[in-house]
Amino acid sequence: MVEGEIRELCETFFDAYQDRRVDILDRVLADDCIIWHNVFGRETTKHDNLSKFHDSYRGQRRRTYDDRIVDTFHDGFVIRYQLHGVQNTGHKGSLWICIVARVREGRITRIDEYMDSSKFGAWAGMDGGGT
Amino acid sequence: MGKVDTEHRALCHALFDAIEREDLEGMARCYAPGMTLWFNVTGQEVSGDDTIAAQAAGREMQRRRTYDDRIVNTFDEGFIVQYTLNIVLHDGSRRSLWACTVAEVHDGLIVKLSEYLDSARFGIPKRARAAAS
Repeated sequence: MVEGEIRELCETFFDAYQDRRVDILDRVLADDCIIWHNVFGRETTKHDNLSKFHDSYRGQRRRTYDDRIVDTFHDGFVIRYQLHGVQNTGHKGSLWICIVARVREGRITRIDEYMDSSKFGAWAGMDGGGT
Repeated sequence: MGKVDTEHRALCHALFDAIEREDLEGMARCYAPGMTLWFNVTGQEVSGDDTIAAQAAGREMQRRRTYDDRIVNTFDEGFIVQYTLNIVLHDGSRRSLWACTVAEVHDGLIVKLSEYLDSARFGIPKRARAAAS
């Protein structure tokens, strides 16, 4: 894949997450895609993630993936962004996240996600914090 | 991309090797004048001098830290490194966390670092975390 294709795949993936388009996520994630998270240190599958997608939005009115900074390398991309969320209570929170993704033949084959779990309380409005 | 790729990889390892060795001059040699480091835990930028001072202060708390399992990828203007940070404190207890750092490079020197980690991991001894997982 050339740089333009990788960038387009990245934007398609995050737009789909933002718009809750599970059908597009299913298309852009390879069937054997692995998702790893620095908070848990465990790998999960595409099926694990897509089957729980709507549950992950429970209590949330909206999420946007803003201020995206994308860099590409020969078989993947790194994206830095700010995740803004609005809970059903109206609480607004944000997280700074970095994802490193591997790509092959137009699809994402691996995602490594890095964030700071100490901010989860403020994100969800559980500790009086937030932005 | 070949030459740039090799140079960025060498710069990446020069920086993290210097941090491991507590080689403050080696760290400074990797930094461009005016470089900044942004940290996802604080959301703030600090100067290169501040990062070097923080490294020196870390010696008082830590016996050793190593940046292991480095996975490096490069792009035209920088690199991304994913790693496991292993820390041994002076009392012998260990901490371990997964982090990644994105570096922006100009003229062979680092002009910006963006570091992402889970700060909750600082307080979890390695043995306890292994038992919990």
